[in-house]
Amino acid sequence: MTFEMKNQHTTKRGVDRRSFLRGSAATAIGLAAFPAIMSGTAHAAYTGTLDMLAWDFQPDMINNLVSAWTAEGNPAVDVAVIPNLGYSPAIQTRLRGGAEIDLYYNFAYNSQKFIDEGWALKLNDLPGVDELIGDMFESARARHVNAAGDVISVPYFSAVHTLHYNAQFLTDAGIDKVPSTLADIYDASLKLREAGIVEAPYVAFWVKEFCEEYLHTYLLNEGIEAFDEAGKPIFGDDPRTVGVFEWWQNMYREGLAPASVLTDDPGKLSNEMAQGNAALYVLHHYFLTSIRSLEGPQSANVQLAPIGGENATLQIGEVIQLGQIEDEERRLAAWELAKYYGWKDQAGKFTVFEKWADAAGLAAPYPGFFTDPDVVAAFPDYYDLPGLSQIFETGSKVVPARTMPWYPDFQARVGDIVHALLLGQATPQQTVDALTAAANTAQGGPSL
Amino acid sequence: MSSSFSNGSLARADAWFGMKMSAVAAIMMAVLLIIPSALTIIYSLHNVPANGSSFGEFVGFRNYEIIFTSNVFWRSVWVTVVFSVGFVVLSTLFGLAMALLLNQEFLGRGLARGLLIIPWATPWLVIGILWKWYADGSVGGLNALLVGLGITGEYQNFLSDPNSALLLAITAAVWRQASFAGILLLAGLQTLPGELYEAAELDGANWWQRLNNVTIPWLRPVLVTVTVLNIIYAFLQFDVIFAMTQGGPGDATQVLSILIYRQLFVVTQIGLGSALAVVLGLAALIGGLVTVKVLYRGKAAN
Repeated sequence: MTFEMKNQHTTKRGVDRRSFLRGSAATAIGLAAFPAIMSGTAHAAYTGTLDMLAWDFQPDMINNLVSAWTAEGNPAVDVAVIPNLGYSPAIQTRLRGGAEIDLYYNFAYNSQKFIDEGWALKLNDLPGVDELIGDMFESARARHVNAAGDVISVPYFSAVHTLHYNAQFLTDAGIDKVPSTLADIYDASLKLREAGIVEAPYVAFWVKEFCEEYLHTYLLNEGIEAFDEAGKPIFGDDPRTVGVFEWWQNMYREGLAPASVLTDDPGKLSNEMAQGNAALYVLHHYFLTSIRSLEGPQSANVQLAPIGGENATLQIGEVIQLGQIEDEERRLAAWELAKYYGWKDQAGKFTVFEKWADAAGLAAPYPGFFTDPDVVAAFPDYYDLPGLSQIFETGSKVVPARTMPWYPDFQARVGDIVHALLLGQATPQQTVDALTAAANTAQGGPSL
Repeated sequence: MSSSFSNGSLARADAWFGMKMSAVAAIMMAVLLIIPSALTIIYSLHNVPANGSSFGEFVGFRNYEIIFTSNVFWRSVWVTVVFSVGFVVLSTLFGLAMALLLNQEFLGRGLARGLLIIPWATPWLVIGILWKWYADGSVGGLNALLVGLGITGEYQNFLSDPNSALLLAITAAVWRQASFAGILLLAGLQTLPGELYEAAELDGANWWQRLNNVTIPWLRPVLVTVTVLNIIYAFLQFDVIFAMTQGGPGDATQVLSILIYRQLFVVTQIGLGSALAVVLGLAALIGGLVTVKVLYRGKAAN
């Protein structure tokens, strides 16, 4: 059974067909699912302890959220937290070694691979899954539903790549329009430097592991699709692609971005914005929270704006997956926890996402999230929530190829290739060719 | 006849006793070394699924063919060789220098000898993190030192430059390993009879001649041990480099161990990663054996 994801209309049609089949079977699972469908999640019948693995972003918050779920009469959850850096190798090693984890954080680019390796469960027929997917921004669904219609994950959080800009610095430099396109950003960076306001105005998280996100962000900003529906790399066929890499190389080689961005972490980059050492910062929208909370001399002047002009930006999101759980009650309990953590609680509220929004500005890929009064109250007032919601709805794309099983191989190579470009060791055209070759090679079997 | 029977029984009893005594160590060796090594070799000949459910398809030497025809591999070999040569030479030389210094009589020698242990007692990963902070282009102490000494005019982003990133990775690793070499060499120096120096001095030998003709020959067994261990550490070095640069910028510091990590644990190409591990293991083994051969050949010539 698959999930139709072409549009809202077909989504509803898929649900109806499934409802019909379920109704005729009149199974106990269907009955158990009823309250879940009506109000988000249900109490789990399982009485044992669930195992959950997460990375170390605010571990106390994770424990509090899970404890709150248990306190509502649900099973206890044993939460293990490991560092974000190296999480992917760590979880793969554990699963390969036979670790049984009921529910775990995962990077979206690993999700289909984990399904294919038998480490993660397809969620197709679990109670309330259609409603969860149907509740989601259409733009976000391809991250959680694969091309075959299988539901492979639920959201842990979601974000869009946006421009954090110092409004005061732009005014001081005589820039009256917030830069949006790559060309705008280049021009604004030059003006900011020539005006003597900031020597290297643009910062971004260009470490090796993260270059792949920027690859898609910058291509989408110029209206370029990197891959077709089958995962074939097509960015090399677009004559504008070389221009994107020329821009990228120029930003670095001309010193409009500081040399240190190849190794700087986001915390340092946020601090550069807060201290006024940088004026433009492209990364996930929620870094506005970290810049503001640093309370540097320029923190209050930093604001958020969409990028890409008429085109889109990259929408990212990390995910929650369920392990291969044989026991049905346990599986359903883990699923209830996944729904609570990645969608709504029993009262139909975005409780978990509200807490993340309050703590770190993280978003959920649901339209209802942005209009929920509690969420609106939880978000710091410097966020333009309708604007952010609009970016999720129509101004961003998720790049479906990013969840294909070969994608982690490609993802691991992008950093080396882009760094060679930035260091002047490769031309933009060579970079396009190398990335195309890397994508093809990744789909062709083992390779270095 | 009776006597030979008794001797044979005794020999068998001795052998049996020896086997029993070494059985635990032999089992541990098999479990921790031989079995994993054999599995790695077997994996390297297969296209192993990421979930490890089986050995997967037998592909013969296909994984080795992929490796030896890849520019990524040869680039990584080059980085590994540069790193290893720098690491082995510098850590051995600095270790020897520290040992010679700490073998002298001076006020505070005991404290200095105690301090020598600190880098060695610090985990590799922590050293990598410390040096990453120290080399930071905005607030790093290294920049403050260089600017303060007038060597550089302004703060530099050392870790963003391919050459200086590799140099700093070597420096950080040497900082730890030199103390290890120093401790071993100091122990060796303390067994050197003072009469040898006195005799050399009576013969009119200067400091360099005493070092070359007395100290170094005396330390040769320790030097061989230190050098071989340093070679092994060099080829297997991962933590410091990964903590400082994660192999970057680009592939400037991507030594073979980081490439293996990527293949085995990030993209989970177990067969290819295992083939890389076999190649690296052989390289370390050959490097160590050649070193022993060269150093002992020098001894035989002497």
